[in-house]
Amino acid sequence: MEFDRFHQFGTLLLHDAFVLSYSGYVTEDILEAVGSTLRARLADHTASPRQIRNVFSIFVELMQNVIRYGTEGPQPPGLLGNRESFGLVMVCQNGTCMDILSGNYISKKSAGKMRRRVEFLNDKTPAELRKIYQSRLRQPPEFDSKGASIGLIEIARRSSMPLQYETRDVDEGLCFFMVKASVERSS
Amino acid sequence: MTDIHHPATSRTPAVTLNKETAHLLIEGESYPEDVTGFYAPIFQSLEAFFSAGNQRMNIDIKLIYFNSSSARALTELLDIMDSHAAKGASITIRWFCDHDDDVTREFAEDVAMEMENLTIAVIDLNHDG
Repeated sequence: MEFDRFHQFGTLLLHDAFVLSYSGYVTEDILEAVGSTLRARLADHTASPRQIRNVFSIFVELMQNVIRYGTEGPQPPGLLGNRESFGLVMVCQNGTCMDILSGNYISKKSAGKMRRRVEFLNDKTPAELRKIYQSRLRQPPEFDSKGASIGLIEIARRSSMPLQYETRDVDEGLCFFMVKASVERSS
Repeated sequence: MTDIHHPATSRTPAVTLNKETAHLLIEGESYPEDVTGFYAPIFQSLEAFFSAGNQRMNIDIKLIYFNSSSARALTELLDIMDSHAAKGASITIRWFCDHDDDVTREFAEDVAMEMENLTIAVIDLNHDG
């Protein structure tokens, strides 16, 4: 990377009240390392244990989603073993809120499925989410004909606002899928 | 049959199963890489404990944080205990939840409601402020 782009990248990250970001191939080891760093950083940014808990919880579920579904994206050159999961996650402070964003490459077909799941959950009240969560507990993890996986329901329950998402097309079959959750200090 | 003494790691809880005192304690963090691999041996030990004719078990759950896959495993644990309670075993469950962790407390209360033969005491851990 040339110095101008490198500097631009650094400036971009400093722009928002930025807590932490990770970009690259995501593994369980990375999740653990970035997760424990995040917890320590959050303690510097907020005094609310509830906000820390909800942000950390959303972070873990998002990272595990990336690990599970991020293998459809570009792969490191010369890869011999299993496909790698590429993803991007960022936590930043936004007034009294803490925003958690994650992005990964997925097929347009998977993106359509994700969109439907997020919209299904965004239509629900907290009491309905609580019920849906409970009803999914004894269903197989990949139960996804409609509705959503338990991880996504967990994210929706701990987010203070409806989940937002956007996609950017990469090529004919692939897109970059981004999702944003937000945790209010008092929630 | 042996007791279980798993020390806590950053991603897995401390698990202590004492067969002599009929006590199981699960305490700490739970977001293992392999949830089934972590919890299945514990469930097997419990099954072996009841198969050996024991009729009593006290379980304390003190988890600071657990992810959604661990929530599934905890539900399975309580379903297993419920089925033994149905067969006459005397089982007490205490589930300690952080005062300000609504999602976890609601989850514990909802699972408790679904148990047919098992009483789960959901206990608030009070924090200052």
